[in-house]
Amino acid sequence: MKRRAFMLSVGGAAAGMVLLPRMAFAEAGKIDWYTSSDQNILDFWTNVVKPKFEAANPGVTLNLVDAGDNAGQTAIAERALAAMQTKTDPQADYFETGDWRLPAGAADAGLYVNMKEAGLSNYSKVNPLAFDGDFSLPYRGSQVLLAYDTTKLDPANAPKTFADLVAWIKANPGQFIYNRPDKGGSGGNFVRRAILEANGKDPAKFKVDNYSPEAADAALNPAWDILKDLAPSLFDNGAYTSGNTQSVQLLSQSAVTMIPAWSDQAIQAINTGVLPETTGLVQLQDLALPGGFSRSVVLANGANKDAALKLADFILTEEIQSAVLSELGGFPGVAWDYVNQDLREKYKDVIPTTIPTFPGGDWEKAINDGWYRNVAPNVDRNA
Amino acid sequence: MSLTPANDIVGKNNGRGLTGLLLVAIPVFLVGWMIIWPIISAIGRTIWLPNEGGGRSFSLETYGFFFTDQYSLNNLGVTLWTTGVCAVLLVLICLPIALYLRFAKGRLAAYVQGLAIFPMFVPSIILSYAIIRVLGPNGTVDLLLNAMHLPKIRSPYLTPWGPVIGLVWDNIPLTVLILLSGLGNVSNQSIEAARDVGAGRLAVLWHIILPRISNSILVAVSFTVLGIFSAFTLPYVLGPAAPEMMGPFMQRTFRDLNDPTNAITQAVIAFCFCIVFGLFYVRSVAKNRSA
Repeated sequence: MKRRAFMLSVGGAAAGMVLLPRMAFAEAGKIDWYTSSDQNILDFWTNVVKPKFEAANPGVTLNLVDAGDNAGQTAIAERALAAMQTKTDPQADYFETGDWRLPAGAADAGLYVNMKEAGLSNYSKVNPLAFDGDFSLPYRGSQVLLAYDTTKLDPANAPKTFADLVAWIKANPGQFIYNRPDKGGSGGNFVRRAILEANGKDPAKFKVDNYSPEAADAALNPAWDILKDLAPSLFDNGAYTSGNTQSVQLLSQSAVTMIPAWSDQAIQAINTGVLPETTGLVQLQDLALPGGFSRSVVLANGANKDAALKLADFILTEEIQSAVLSELGGFPGVAWDYVNQDLREKYKDVIPTTIPTFPGGDWEKAINDGWYRNVAPNVDRNA
Repeated sequence: MSLTPANDIVGKNNGRGLTGLLLVAIPVFLVGWMIIWPIISAIGRTIWLPNEGGGRSFSLETYGFFFTDQYSLNNLGVTLWTTGVCAVLLVLICLPIALYLRFAKGRLAAYVQGLAIFPMFVPSIILSYAIIRVLGPNGTVDLLLNAMHLPKIRSPYLTPWGPVIGLVWDNIPLTVLILLSGLGNVSNQSIEAARDVGAGRLAVLWHIILPRISNSILVAVSFTVLGIFSAFTLPYVLGPAAPEMMGPFMQRTFRDLNDPTNAITQAVIAFCFCIVFGLFYVRSVAKNRSA
């Protein structure tokens, strides 16, 4: 009966909260900020950005809210879109990382501020490679590299080019695994690197607005051939993990020798002991594995839009951008010239001069769906 | 059962009848609003597609695509396979446990029951990572085998058997509990009577126990099948990249491919399969009521 009574009261309270009329309004001067990123990003904002921004802008406070995951944040965006139609308060001003294409039609409806025309003083400093349309603002990035077990592979023999990597995978069957391209960026960017390999190693060939089904067939089919050719030499004759973490776990269990991994995630895993000290990191020298940028969006109908734009400008300052590098282990969103000189010097070995980026949008859809239809099933798991 | 509680409330007295209707009004309203209406709206949105003229017209295009697309059909196939294998394994595993718990007494039985119910309190995401640790490559099982100088196992991780193992383990408590409640209907007297006339253990099971709990088995199977058909976390983490189960497939179509119409189509198709098992359940409950 105790459990029953407990369940009843909890259920009743939860139902009551749902049914209560929502009377909350956004407070003036309090920016409602949402993120779908991991805890380390939220910590960075709590400990670094929030105090600095509030000190620089008296009277404005930041309300940092963890939206959970992309789906959670998209739900907030959908609520804001609905609020726009009814001209009510969306109680949201700023998304730490947002895809302006979601929810579908939101940008056309004017939900997101056009950053290019918003008059941000630091907008011109942003790394031109990092943009994805005008509705979002790149402010941090990270890059995929190869993490491997130095007890099984001598660092001197670690692959330095994509061709070396392919040769190594084939010579060591079952020792490499990457995750499904839509389930995490480490596998996603390995797949994109294969696409670049099949297209003359030229990242400039892919732009957010030059997608067409014909161009996709021409560009992607040769890449699928490369990846299909690799499949029998992968772990378990062509298995693919369902996320960055699972790949790291397989490397830590010594089930494989090498994985593609996010730079910040790999460094963090080594620091916390998830990966052993003997883990080596290497970047391809002919063309690096691509990276990705996180882009903030500002809601046009937010009650604190002007303050949110001030925040957007603030995170591009040298102070915060250097902190992204030193505190977060990420890459700055601004071009390297606008980062603290000492830091630039300190990280010059870790960070390559180029971060190939790959456009999202239609290309991303084509890559994800194409990989699932062409590469993933084409495996004889019993072989 | 001659007089159910409902008969009591909905009597001849009109005032009391109104009370009864009011009591069921909220659940009925919630079911209508949050379940029935979304279903109707989903079906409407998948057969009433936007046309070139800017309006909407009747079209079965998305269903045609699903049933002509080998990739989608493979996903449906692996979902049905996983559901079927899990249902069979669950009955085979849980029936002996339930029989033991029904007839055994004492401290050991209490421990067994505790152990059988335990999976209910383990979130499936934790279960997934635990299975990678234990049954995954170089996991605990491999380490134990290696210590005994035996060869490694072929890990079920990232094969269709990974989700099967996880889903079976996850669904043991529900199945055991339903079977156990069904076994409560089997009276000790009828078993003793059968034994008195010389029936062996198997004969008792086959002629006395199984006929009385066939309804519970049906309910248990329909419940687990409904859950497994739409399972997400375990197939997502433990299953192969392709073919994928309908849960991850729908989510991927909706979110990664940004294609709600096809995702809803997949959901409607999954719903059609589930409703068959739902009807089994409703029928058996109705049969129980009228009996």
